[in-house]
Amino acid sequence: MSELTAEQVHTEDLPPKEPIWEVHSIHKAFPGVQALDDVSMAVFPGEVHALLGENGSGKSTLAKCIAGVHPPEKGEILYKGQVQNFRHPMDARAAGVATIYQEFSLVPSLTVAENIYLGRYPRTPLGGIDWSAARKATQKVLEQLSLSIDPDEVVRTLSVAEQQLVEIAKAISLESSLLIMDEPTAALGLVETQRLMELIRRLTAQNKAIIYISHRLDEVFEIADRVTILKDGKRVITSPISKLKMGDVVRAMIGFDIEQHYPKHYNASPEVCLRVEHLSTETGVQDVSFSVHVGEVLGLGGMLGSGRTEIARAIYGMDKITSGTIAFDGHKSGFRSPREAVDAGVGMLPENRKTDGCFFNFEGPKNITISRLKELLTGPFLSLRKENKYGETYIQRMNIPPTALDRSVQYLSGGNQQKVIVARWLFSQARLLIMDEPTQGIDIGAKLEVYNVINELTASGISIILITSDFPELLAMSDRIAVVRDGRILEVIPASQLSEYQLIGMATGAGTSEDVERTTAED
Amino acid sequence: MEIITKFFRSTVAGPLVAFLLVSATASLATDRFLMPANLSNVSLQVATVAVVSIGATLVILTGGIDLSPGSTVALVCCTLAILVKKMGVPLPVGIFLVLLLGVACGAINGFFSTYGKIPSFIVTLATMSIYRGLAFLITKGTPIFSVSDSLEPLFYGRFIGIPLPFYYVVVLYALAALFLRNTISGRAIYAVGGNESAARLTGIAVNRSKMVAFLIAGLSAGIGGVLLTAWLNSGSPNYGAELGLQSIAAAVIGGASLVGGYGSMIASLIGALTVAVVQNGLNLLAVPASWQEITLGIVIVAAVGLDMWKSSIGRGLGSLFRQS
Repeated sequence: MSELTAEQVHTEDLPPKEPIWEVHSIHKAFPGVQALDDVSMAVFPGEVHALLGENGSGKSTLAKCIAGVHPPEKGEILYKGQVQNFRHPMDARAAGVATIYQEFSLVPSLTVAENIYLGRYPRTPLGGIDWSAARKATQKVLEQLSLSIDPDEVVRTLSVAEQQLVEIAKAISLESSLLIMDEPTAALGLVETQRLMELIRRLTAQNKAIIYISHRLDEVFEIADRVTILKDGKRVITSPISKLKMGDVVRAMIGFDIEQHYPKHYNASPEVCLRVEHLSTETGVQDVSFSVHVGEVLGLGGMLGSGRTEIARAIYGMDKITSGTIAFDGHKSGFRSPREAVDAGVGMLPENRKTDGCFFNFEGPKNITISRLKELLTGPFLSLRKENKYGETYIQRMNIPPTALDRSVQYLSGGNQQKVIVARWLFSQARLLIMDEPTQGIDIGAKLEVYNVINELTASGISIILITSDFPELLAMSDRIAVVRDGRILEVIPASQLSEYQLIGMATGAGTSEDVERTTAED
Repeated sequence: MEIITKFFRSTVAGPLVAFLLVSATASLATDRFLMPANLSNVSLQVATVAVVSIGATLVILTGGIDLSPGSTVALVCCTLAILVKKMGVPLPVGIFLVLLLGVACGAINGFFSTYGKIPSFIVTLATMSIYRGLAFLITKGTPIFSVSDSLEPLFYGRFIGIPLPFYYVVVLYALAALFLRNTISGRAIYAVGGNESAARLTGIAVNRSKMVAFLIAGLSAGIGGVLLTAWLNSGSPNYGAELGLQSIAAAVIGGASLVGGYGSMIASLIGALTVAVVQNGLNLLAVPASWQEITLGIVIVAAVGLDMWKSSIGRGLGSLFRQS
């Protein structure tokens, strides 16, 4: 690792072309942090250049400097050797930089075509908007992505994954020389991700340059040509990806070794915590049966739209059950609302912690105590002193920065926000926790902490239903996996007897477990 | 210096600075502003709008809005006048009944905007019209004067030399602040306004919380109506026309966010005081009514602006002090 210095890379490993885009010793500070400290990077035509680093390492800031969102304080951005002076994202766009941001920039109430050509609609000779041209052009871009989305569909009605694909289509339609993708697959399932990978290959074949930011290292190794790793705003290394191993990259990003990428502890006991029998819902869940043991992590393995989220929603009382029973700790009836579920001791880490999890108008303690306010009562009144004491205890226990004590949780990183929500369910003494994409969009260090939290939770007898699109994570952190497809559970299999390949095969319908050697795994 | 930055970060900083600026301007513009007689006059003027603002704040905290309290006040005034003067109902009974009426008005708003799933803006836009229409209907459009001799002392009475409305406001705000800060229902209101979806997923009864806010808003409009009837010893369907918007203005000047989740009782009280001081100061200066309205509008924008920009102002002042 240490012998791979930046200089060497520059002399040995340059592709035999001139860089098309370059940044030269960029500096950028925000109040209290030096976000970028003397960072340089070159991108060549036809190259996928991965930009890696933990949250707060400066990679998104660097992308925003290139995209004209943040003008750098020092340093230059060059296009074909010419210094560019971007004062506004429009400047960068005009110069050929297209960006796909982590946060969506789509207008939900407009159609796909209207969104893709927003602000640059094709005109008719009379000066009106040429809708048929816009629709046709949209159709063409969508076909490039082999997407079967109707250009006239209103964006609000699309799934999150489809919205993300439209976002990508929008950036591609800009005909740019550089495409910056900031976590483009965060909301995508496996099939969509593969489609995006193909598209990226087609784009690089057209000599477009791509800066690819992602937390999913397997993707990076699949698609990237070179990688630049940032840590604390400084460049650690730039190297062809072929010269690095996964471990090198992780070490460079977090500054230490993760001996075990997935530190799984097995804490399942024979007692049953949740028993679901012949469950069907209006939302497409069909005759689903499974049980979760005390201290067990049961993974719901399926593609986006397989019905895995709907199963979780039904258990949590969010969707109406049409038939079947859910028995939780002897509760025979199932729950008619999340309120009943929470009161009975079930908790939920929602997929989207910003819109469904955190209260940004609250500081840490209030975010934690909200699910069991009764605990704070002294007579008829809430004791704020008790609240702060509990807050302090849980913030310390979950290793959340102490600033969370008296500042809004919006100032916390994604990983720490996730921990605040876990603390909420610890405080409410939940015995079953539904985790929907608990590590989405958080960096490796924080992921590791989430895994350790899962171990701690199960060790203390809490059962977990884990939903994640990250199949290696699902396989490593689950005790057993229920494979979900088309609203049905195909099988429940011990995770140790399942490979990623088999899981994908079953989840996509490409193959079933009959092809697979394994022992039966009923409870 | 830390205290200064901290103060500017706190939620009451913006409204308080706005209030002090307005008061300072008023006292510089006219000597009479700070005279005790005028100050007690201000406390009379602020009473109704301040009480109505309690409800406005709660509804805004849930992320809703209530346009109807002015009309509720009119309906309450007229009903009280009719009950007491025309039907001979004893005053305490009359007051009790019209407070129930206020709560009922709030319940209707709440029911349709939660269980009925119609946006509160639309529901209260409709009831704003309906409640005032009812007030016209029951009075046939004519004001009722000299409602009761025992009504005026409720408003003009004094205790240790201080007008009674001052105490009403203090007590009601203390209760409201206690409710909001230190009860489960109060916390739920903040949670619902801050993130409705998260609130539902953490087991908060979202509709019930919104309902509670509307019920209290109805009650506070009812109390405001009683105070107004006592103040003027009369009931007219034209009363309270400006109260709906003024109560929203008070909450907003106090830093409440119309998205919900942000705001506090003390800040809204400061907001109501600001509204009252602007009116009082302009009255003292004999500024015509049209200019009073215009000035109030400017104050709303300036106060909210102060709140939005306060952190940068705070930083600026902080660094100023550090340098010296």
